[in-house]
Amino acid sequence: MHDGNFTAFLIDDDPAILKALSRLLRASGYDVMPFHSSRAFLAAHDSSIPGCAIVDLAMPDIDGLQLQEALHKENVERPMIFLTGNGDIPTSVRAMKAGAIDFLTKPVRQSHLLAALTRAIEADAQMRQERASLQSINDRLSLLTRRESEVLRYVVAGRLNKQIAGSLGTVEKTIKVHRGRMMTKLGVRCVADLVRLAERAGITPQA
Amino acid sequence: MSSITLAIERSPASQLGNFIKNPIAVAVAYYVGAEMAFFVGTLSDKIFAPFWPPNIILFCALLLTPTQRWWIYFLAAFPAHVAAELGVGMAMPQLLVAFATNCLVAGMNAFAVQKFLGGARCFNTLRRTAIYILITTIASPALSALGGAFVQAMGNGGLEHYGLYWARWYASNALGSLTLGPVAMICLTETRWPTSFALTYRHAEAAAVALMLFAICSVAFNLSAATAAGGYLPTLLYLPLPLILWCAVRFGVKGASGAILMVSFVLIWRTLNGPTLFVVGDAETNVFALQIFLIGLSTPILLLGAAIEETRHAEQTTRESEERMAFVAASSNLGLWRQELATKHFWATRHCFDMFGLPVTTRPTLEALLNCIHPADFRFASIAMKSAIQHGAPVEIEFRIGANNDDIRWIAARARPEFEDGNVLVAIAGAFTDITQRKAAEAEAMLQRQEITHLMRVSMLGELSGSLAHELTQPLTAILSNAQAGKMVLAHETPNIGEISEVLDDIITEDTRAGEVIHRLRRLLKKGDAKYETVDLNDLINTTLRLLHSELINRRVATSVDLTPDLRLALGDPIQLQQILINLLMNAMDAVEEMSPSRRIINVSTNNVGDDEVEVRIGDRGTGLRAAEKQYVFQPFYTTKKRGLGLGLSICSSIMKSHGGSLSIQNNESEGATASFRVPCKIM
Repeated sequence: MHDGNFTAFLIDDDPAILKALSRLLRASGYDVMPFHSSRAFLAAHDSSIPGCAIVDLAMPDIDGLQLQEALHKENVERPMIFLTGNGDIPTSVRAMKAGAIDFLTKPVRQSHLLAALTRAIEADAQMRQERASLQSINDRLSLLTRRESEVLRYVVAGRLNKQIAGSLGTVEKTIKVHRGRMMTKLGVRCVADLVRLAERAGITPQA
Repeated sequence: MSSITLAIERSPASQLGNFIKNPIAVAVAYYVGAEMAFFVGTLSDKIFAPFWPPNIILFCALLLTPTQRWWIYFLAAFPAHVAAELGVGMAMPQLLVAFATNCLVAGMNAFAVQKFLGGARCFNTLRRTAIYILITTIASPALSALGGAFVQAMGNGGLEHYGLYWARWYASNALGSLTLGPVAMICLTETRWPTSFALTYRHAEAAAVALMLFAICSVAFNLSAATAAGGYLPTLLYLPLPLILWCAVRFGVKGASGAILMVSFVLIWRTLNGPTLFVVGDAETNVFALQIFLIGLSTPILLLGAAIEETRHAEQTTRESEERMAFVAASSNLGLWRQELATKHFWATRHCFDMFGLPVTTRPTLEALLNCIHPADFRFASIAMKSAIQHGAPVEIEFRIGANNDDIRWIAARARPEFEDGNVLVAIAGAFTDITQRKAAEAEAMLQRQEITHLMRVSMLGELSGSLAHELTQPLTAILSNAQAGKMVLAHETPNIGEISEVLDDIITEDTRAGEVIHRLRRLLKKGDAKYETVDLNDLINTTLRLLHSELINRRVATSVDLTPDLRLALGDPIQLQQILINLLMNAMDAVEEMSPSRRIINVSTNNVGDDEVEVRIGDRGTGLRAAEKQYVFQPFYTTKKRGLGLGLSICSSIMKSHGGSLSIQNNESEGATASFRVPCKIM
């Protein structure tokens, strides 16, 4: 029994299944938003709502895998659970490789569905957390001046202050000042933390 | 033609024929014949015979000889002629003229008979006999008498009686052709001389009637002047007639010619040797009257004999032909029968009764045969037969015979009425054929066709199994989720009973849906005879599209459905019609498989066509049929698909045929092809 704020986005062209699964998931404590087609879902989608898409694989117009691709293209991250009547292995591998939480065959058992949903909640939470931490790193990185950013890339490349000063055509003392300010702005104490942060932010070291 | 006939007539090589072909024999016979004529009665002073056998002998010899060899016989006959005529004291010039006219009449007779009758067989039909009489009794004696009359004119030294002499010469030759001629020619052409003489009833009868005729003639023609004066002359004249008719009727042309010869012989002999019926004038006038009488009597009798011969021959031919027909009919397993309506007389070939399994002793009636009909078929078969007998309607029915189910045989009966005078029904004639083997083969073929149709249906559903399973999975999924949701609702401290009720309603609905899927599948998988009923093709199309729902989605094919709302009800087997729909829809899906999404559309529509048909059209937007494919698409084992037996359309086509409908495939104007089938609809 889930009682958090988590929405299951149900997408199935069969109204009976949509209704039954909605009922089951609501009874299990989830918020449910049912859609009868991928198009309807895409039109109304709000990625800020924490939740998971439960998608029928075989649908007219846009099917489950195409929906997954469409979301990827729009850079929307949304955990997905696929339901299928007759899933074959190649299709399931494709879905899983593209980041699906699970690939369940119909008729789906409550326990399997809820277990998959639990994993989806974790994945969603993790994703959101990661996105949040990345956001804070990016926020901090945006505080750096151009010179400080340059110094950062030399530091994470493992260059000494003297070498950096040589490369930038200045004196070692100036670099020390920049480096101190940069470390303060980014809120790191040691070079190891700085390297980890740069890595997460995708900053390439200056060779 | 004539040479063939001659060859055939010569081939039996009757001894008489061979004899008469010998020129020396002809000479001898000529002389003997002349002497016979003189013996029977020659008015020696007038040198004139009432009938003249030598001309007939010469005629027969010439008839059997090619024209270019005739001179041999003329040469051979000349010494005989001279010898005979000199014997009775005829002068040389007269003798020569007589010989010339004798040769002329014999030659003309032989030439004309060969040309028009093709040989000596002259008396087998009425027509040929009439031609014979025309030639030998009328034309050629009349012509030759123009010369012959001079013989007497020269003897008596006067031409003022030329007409009379002509008439006498003519009558003499004509009588010979009528009396001796037929007997001689029949003897020449008779091929069935008895090899051993066995006394039969017919022989005895012939002998008896000949004796009686001889006796009656002797009595009748031998009379005194008193009898003649008493006025019995006409009565006596007709006395031999019944016996002559007897001869003609019983023994045909042989009897007739024999009787004529005998009457002539006796009458001439009596006339020249004593008082007879012909006693009016001088001897010459008497003989002439006698000749005219005999010619008048012989002509119709000879014709009657020939007519009877012809009838008898026709009867025999008919009988032989009937026997042949019965034999052929029995060999080809055909029983023939005929029922006369007025007399109730029933005739049937032996084989009819064998076919119906009736013993030989059965009294032949139509009822006896009809009573063998299987009880289940008896009513309609006897109604059909009776209506044929009552209204003269032709019958063509098939029924079973035999009471036990083990020895049932199928019989085809055909009968047609026979009318006389246009529209008076006189008889029903028909034939029975044993068609058990054909029926067995038909039943076998029917069974095999059903088996194949069923197997194709099963294999088609096998191809669809994934999609069909999905059709079942959908309701099952809904049921499971609803049931589990229901359990959770119940687990609440205060369960919402209204919601539980809704859950249960949905479960029932979905269960019904699953049941329908199974029901539809079972109907399609079931094996059985075609059952014709009224079918709403619109319903059938909707049901079929539901069944193929998953398949269509999986293969990413959309449908565009345009059904006529007031579609007539079709008449057919719903399962076989659905088989056709599935087959055509799957073909359409195959056709658009490789197409871009915008062309992956199948159009399904229905229409009323004409007054008595409904049409279903299934169109795709694929590549259509290639020109070379069009003629092969309905042939078994022809396929353009990578997998597939090539039986689908061939079976659809045969299903349509058995429905009395039609199936066709045509390319669309723009793109793709449309398959359409027409089914007869229920007659309102």
